[in-house]
Amino acid sequence: MFVFVLALFFFAGIIFFTANISINAGSWVQHSYNGHLSGSGGLEKAGKIFDRNGVVLAQTADGERYYNDDYETRLSTLHVVGDNSLNISTAVQSVYRSELTGFSYIWGLEMPETFRGGNNLTLTIDSAACKTAYEALGGMEGAVVVINYKTGEVLCSVSSKSYDPNDPPEINEDNEDEYDGVYLNKVLSSSYTPGSIFKLITTEAALENIPDIDSRTFECSGSAVIGGNEVTCMSSHGLIDIHDGLAQSCNIVFAQLAYELGRDKMTEAANKLGVNSSFDVGHTPTVKGNYNVKNADDNQLAWSGIGQYTDLTNPMQMCILMSAIANGGNRAEPYYVERMGGGDFEKQYPSEKNGEAMLESDIAQKLNDMMRYNVTSNYGDSMFGGLTVCAKTGTAEVQDGESNDAWMVGFVRDEDTPLAFAVAIEDGTFGISTAGPVAVAAVQACAEDMLANG
Amino acid sequence: MDSFLQSLNIQVITDIAIVALRILIPILGVIVVFQCYSSMRRQRRDEKPLIMLENAANGQVLPVLCWENSVGRAKGNDIVISDDLTVSREHCVILRRKEGWFISDTGSKTGTYVNGKRTEGRAPIYINDEITIGKDTFVLKRAQDYTDVNRSWFYRKEGGKEGIAPFALMMLISIFTLFMATEACLSIEATDFQPLIIFAVFMVVAWAFYIVSTQVFKRVGFELEGLALFLTAIGVMLSVRQGLHQTYVQIIACAIGMAVFCFMIKFLQNPDRVNKWRLAIMIIAVILLGVNIVFGSVRGGAANWIMIGGMSIQPSEFVKIAYIFVGASALDQLQTRKNFIVFIIFSAICIGALFIMSDFGTAVIFFGTFLMISIVRSGDYKTVVVSIVGAIFGGLLILRFKPYIADRFSAWGKAFENSADKGYQTARVLTYAASGGLFGCGLGNGYLKYVAASESDLVFGLACEELGLIVALTIAGAIGGLFFYARAITTKSRSTFYSISACCAAGLLILQTSLNIFSATDILPLTGVTLPFVSVGGSSMIACWGLLAFIKAADERTYSIKKR
Repeated sequence: MFVFVLALFFFAGIIFFTANISINAGSWVQHSYNGHLSGSGGLEKAGKIFDRNGVVLAQTADGERYYNDDYETRLSTLHVVGDNSLNISTAVQSVYRSELTGFSYIWGLEMPETFRGGNNLTLTIDSAACKTAYEALGGMEGAVVVINYKTGEVLCSVSSKSYDPNDPPEINEDNEDEYDGVYLNKVLSSSYTPGSIFKLITTEAALENIPDIDSRTFECSGSAVIGGNEVTCMSSHGLIDIHDGLAQSCNIVFAQLAYELGRDKMTEAANKLGVNSSFDVGHTPTVKGNYNVKNADDNQLAWSGIGQYTDLTNPMQMCILMSAIANGGNRAEPYYVERMGGGDFEKQYPSEKNGEAMLESDIAQKLNDMMRYNVTSNYGDSMFGGLTVCAKTGTAEVQDGESNDAWMVGFVRDEDTPLAFAVAIEDGTFGISTAGPVAVAAVQACAEDMLANG
Repeated sequence: MDSFLQSLNIQVITDIAIVALRILIPILGVIVVFQCYSSMRRQRRDEKPLIMLENAANGQVLPVLCWENSVGRAKGNDIVISDDLTVSREHCVILRRKEGWFISDTGSKTGTYVNGKRTEGRAPIYINDEITIGKDTFVLKRAQDYTDVNRSWFYRKEGGKEGIAPFALMMLISIFTLFMATEACLSIEATDFQPLIIFAVFMVVAWAFYIVSTQVFKRVGFELEGLALFLTAIGVMLSVRQGLHQTYVQIIACAIGMAVFCFMIKFLQNPDRVNKWRLAIMIIAVILLGVNIVFGSVRGGAANWIMIGGMSIQPSEFVKIAYIFVGASALDQLQTRKNFIVFIIFSAICIGALFIMSDFGTAVIFFGTFLMISIVRSGDYKTVVVSIVGAIFGGLLILRFKPYIADRFSAWGKAFENSADKGYQTARVLTYAASGGLFGCGLGNGYLKYVAASESDLVFGLACEELGLIVALTIAGAIGGLFFYARAITTKSRSTFYSISACCAAGLLILQTSLNIFSATDILPLTGVTLPFVSVGGSSMIACWGLLAFIKAADERTYSIKKR
C-alpha cells in the first residue's frame, strides 16, 4: 500500500518534472552562468537583427557576432539589441536567443555547427532616432522612449549609460561604480521619482471624483500648510484653477487635491492608471512603479499628489499612460519585435489585439486638452517644430535632495504622427530644460522617419 | 547536388556522426529497458494454486496460492475464514519448504489440529490430512484436481513470444555502452580515446559477470542484472570525462557489488538460515554505525564517511542491506511480538545514528523503508501513525538544530532566485538539464560536471544535460519499474521473507531515486542521496547490487528452474 503510494508519487514527480522542463526549458537556459551560452554565446549561427528600415544592427560572420558599424548607433541600441552575454536580460538577444540561434528544446543548446541555423529578427525601432536621442542625452544618464500609440511599435528606446557591444567592458570591483546600472534597460527596468508628471494622475482622480472641479479655484501663496505641515511651491501663483494649475505646475493645487481626495481615491486612481502594475512589452515585463500611502500622514499624502513622498514611476509605464490619454482611454501595447523568420516560416509579432481601456474617454479627452494647454500656454509650440504636442514636465526631488529627476512625458496629436513619449533623466536641473530638448529631438526624429517612410 | 558533395568535409561528417549517435543512444536505451521488463513479463508460467483445502462439512474449496499462507479471521490473511468467531484473527500459517508442507499455529486461542491432534511449532501435513481450525475441518487436496484462473496482470498469457535471450540483452547493453563511449571520444575538448579503454574494462567486468551467472550458476533470467548493468554503464560513461580515477573506482565497486550479489543469492536460498543469522547481522550493522559515529569524517555536511587504508567508505549504505534482512522474516516468525519489537528497536538505532551523523537524506530513506516494512509486515496502522508523529518531531528537531538543513529547505522551490548561494546547485541543474534538450549535448560537453557533487547528488541533471531527457527518463523508468516487478513476483515467491525483502528493497531503491531526482530538480529540498547504480560512489554501488539480490531472490525462477 505505502509502496504503491510511493510509486505513484515517484511517477507523478517524474511527469511533473517532464512537463515543467518542456514548458520552461526556454527560460531555464537563459541564465548568465550558463556555460553553453557564454563566450560567443551560442550566437555563432544566430540570425541577423534589423531595425524597422532594414539597417543591420547585429549579424554573425565567420562565427563572430558583429554589431552595427556606427559607434553611436551601437551604444544607443545596446539595451534593445543586447550583446553576446546575457547580462542585459531584457534585450532581444537574451529574450529571443532561442529563436535567434534556432534553439529548440528537442535539440538542446549544443547542436554541432553544421546543423545550426538561426532566424532573423526585425525590430520596430528606428536606429537613426535612437542615435539622435542618444546624442541629445549628451552623456546624461536616463531613459528615452517613443512609441506609436496607434500600433504599439516602439520606435525609439534608449538607455544610458551604455557601452559598446563590440568591446564590452570587464566590470570588476574597481570600476563597478562607473558602470552602475549599465546592464539595465532603464526604459523597462528602472523607476524614478515622478515629481510633477504625477499631477496628471491626481488630475484624473479629481476629474473623476469632484464634479465641480472645473469651476474650483485654489489660492497659492508659494507655500501652504496641508495636513499639519508645509507644502511649498516654486512660485506664488495667487488664485488659480486646475487648468492653469497643471500648466503652471502649481504644487499647492495638487497637494490640496490629493489631501482632499484622500488615500483611497488617490490609490484607486494610481492603480487604475497602472502605477503599481507591470506591463508586458513583448515577453518582457516592466518594473512596477510605486504609489503607497497606507502609512502616510496627511502631509505626506499631500506630497504624494505632486509625485514626491515614496512615489515611483517607470518610463515605459508613463509612455503607456500617454498612449491611453492620446487614444481616448485605450492604451497601446508596446512591442519591440516586428517580425521573425528565416527560411519558410515567419512569425508576426504581436498578436492582433486592441489595447485595454485604461480610463474613460471623456476624462481622457479632458486630460488631453489640459496637456495641450500646458504646451500652448507654458512650454510653447515653437519648441516642437510643426508638431501638435501635448505634454507635462516633471522635476522631482530625489530623496537625498541634491539632485533632481527630470521628466517629460506626452504625445503628438497629429493623425499622421501618432507618437507617445517619455523621457526620464537622472541628475537633471529642470524637466523642461533637461528632459525637454531630449524629448524634442527623439520625437522629431521619429516623426521625420514616419513621414518619410510611411 | 555538387555543392552538397563539396560541403561534405570532415567537419560535416563528424557532425552527422555525432547527431546520429545522439539519436541512437536514447533509442537503444529505451529498447534495453523495454526488453528487460517485457522479458520479465513473458518468461512465466501461470499462477496456479499449489494445493487445496476442502471444507469437510460443505465441500467448499479454498485454493492455497503461495508458499507461505496466513490463515485467520482478519481480512488481510491469505486464507480468510470469516464466519467463525472461534478462529483467531491470525490463526495459523500454512507453508511449504523443501521437505514438504507444514502448518504452524501463530498463537491462536483455540489451537490448530492435524488429524485431531493439537499442533505445536511446525507440524508436517500431507495430502488428505484433516486440519481443524476453529469449528471447521479442512481436507488437504492436490491442486491438479481443480482448475482455477487466478492470474496476475503483470504477466502475459502462456504461449506468448519468447522474451529476449540473456545473450542478446548483453549484446544490446554492450552496443549501447559502445555508443556512449564513442560519443564521449567525440566530445568538444577531447583529444584522447580514454572512454574506449574504460569501455573495454567495463565490458570485461560485465561479460565475466554474465558468464559466471549463466554458466557457473546456471541462472535463467538476466533482466534484473541487465537493468543494473545498463544503469551502471550510464553512470560510468557520465563519469569518464569528469575523472578517470573515480571511473575506475566505480567499475571496481561494480565488480565487488556483483560478487556481493552472487553471494547474497546463495545465502538467501534458505530463509530459515537467514533467520538464524538475523541477530549477527544486526550486531554487525550496529557496530558499523558505531564505528562511523566515532571515526566518521564530515563531507558535504554529513559525517557519514570513514577512511580505511586510503579508501573512503560509507557504512550507512551497507546498513541498508542489513536493515532489510532484519525487517523481513518468514511468515510464522513474522507474527510474533518479539520479532516486531526487535525490528522497531533496530530501526530506532539506525535512524538515531543517522541523525547523529546528520545524514538527513539517508535517515529519510530508512524512515520510508521502516514505514514500508511496518505496513507490509503487519498492516497495523497504529504503528504507522505513531512513527509518522515521531518523524514529524524528528524533522522539527533537525530544522531547529541544523541551520544547514534549514538552509536547504529555505531555498527550496526558489532555485533561480537564490542561484548565487543557496540554490546554486539546483539552479544549475535546471539550467543545464534544459540546455541538453531531448537528446543531450553529448557526453563530455556538459557544464554541470564542474559543479560540486554533479557526479553523485546531481547526476540526474548531468544525465539530462549530456544524454538528454529521454535517457534520463529511461533511467527513472528503469528504477521505477522495479516496483511493479517486485509487486508481481511477491505474490508467487516461496516465503514472505522474500516478498517483504523484495518489496522493500524495490521501495527503498525507488525512494532513494525519488529523493535524488526530485531534490536535484527542486521539487523537494536538496537532501544529497545517490541515484542507484548511476551515481559515482563505491559504497552506494555495492549496496545497490546487494539490494537487487533481494529482488532477484524473490523471483521463484532463481532457485527452482535451474535444477532442470
